[in-house]
Amino acid sequence: MSESMPARGASTLNLRGTSTPATRIIGVLALAVMTWVVVSAFFFTAPDVVQGDSVRIMYAHVPAAWVAYLAFVTTAIASGFSLVRRHRTLGFDRVAGASAEVGVLFMGLALVTGSLWGRLTWGTFWQWDPRLTTTLFLFITYVGYLAVRRIDASPERRAKRSAVLALLAVLEIPLVHFSVVLWRSLHQEASVLNPDGDVRLDGLMLFTLFSGVVAFTLAFVWLVIHRQRLQTLVDLQGTVGLDSALAARATEAVLR
Amino acid sequence: MLPAVIAGLAVVVGIGIIAIFLTSSIDYYCNVDEIGVREGCDDTRRVRVQGTVDEGSLEQRMTTTAFVMSFNGVSLPVEYDGEPGGIFQECIPVVAHGRVVDGVLLATRIEVKHSNEYEAENKERITEAETSACS
Repeated sequence: MSESMPARGASTLNLRGTSTPATRIIGVLALAVMTWVVVSAFFFTAPDVVQGDSVRIMYAHVPAAWVAYLAFVTTAIASGFSLVRRHRTLGFDRVAGASAEVGVLFMGLALVTGSLWGRLTWGTFWQWDPRLTTTLFLFITYVGYLAVRRIDASPERRAKRSAVLALLAVLEIPLVHFSVVLWRSLHQEASVLNPDGDVRLDGLMLFTLFSGVVAFTLAFVWLVIHRQRLQTLVDLQGTVGLDSALAARATEAVLR
Repeated sequence: MLPAVIAGLAVVVGIGIIAIFLTSSIDYYCNVDEIGVREGCDDTRRVRVQGTVDEGSLEQRMTTTAFVMSFNGVSLPVEYDGEPGGIFQECIPVVAHGRVVDGVLLATRIEVKHSNEYEAENKERITEAETSACS
């Protein structure tokens, strides 16, 4: 076990908690932008000419899906580094794990908000169409990834095993995003990142949606930093606990 | 590392096969003009059909909702027992699930397939939308 890894990660932490001035700033910014999004979504933006008020779900649904993609890509990049680099391997692995946890949370949020939006516009909570099915498949894949991370193993073994899985799982994202272009789907095509490059949203609606993406991204960064720092402390606790036990056992053996 | 690369390649090839060769199986619906023409869109089995609700075709007959849906110049009458949910209305694309009997789609489910365009509602646009309807 590489004892220096957790200790090095932990040395940068304020051991009374996982926050630092930088994370506090990110947290406050996330809260401020999120407040603006909620106010604008409910009070400033107009209903859609066809969908009416149900369009307001978009301001949570789209950013949640975007952040889930971002989280899973971050997991893949961190996993790649943890496989390739010789040093700080466990640090990258913790970032990968933290990002996947937050990604699953946001993907779940995207599925729930999408389902509610679907009931109001399509007239159904769920259908096995290509977009919905591939999204659920992505969600389940990352729940599986998190399960693999919890299999009892040394941190190094955990890092290697989960990194390989993360690099494979991320390949599903293009399939999910382009499912509405590749196949006929009940789900509409993207309004912003679509193949035509056209933006099909009115001014304030687009700005509120963009603000939502910023707010959710800041929340994602804040959550991942805190989660990976917490994991560092957990790993450190494990290492320190093992060291203490070995030392106590050694002392006991000498005394006998 | 090599096993991971091989596994990655296998996944990419798998995705490619799904995307290219299984298109007709994964497609959620057939368009109105493909019924009885395209593979998997036979009028002898249960189908999901997509088309736009024709302007002025919507009728309420007791508990049945009847309308005509069209796509690419081909029309299909639809009968649905109940009131479709969501934002169902004339001039909107819908997907109807059911069987074609004597040239009429007897639907058991209607879903609205809205576009990816979002416009703020205001008086001018509502009037514009009402006057231009399906155009």
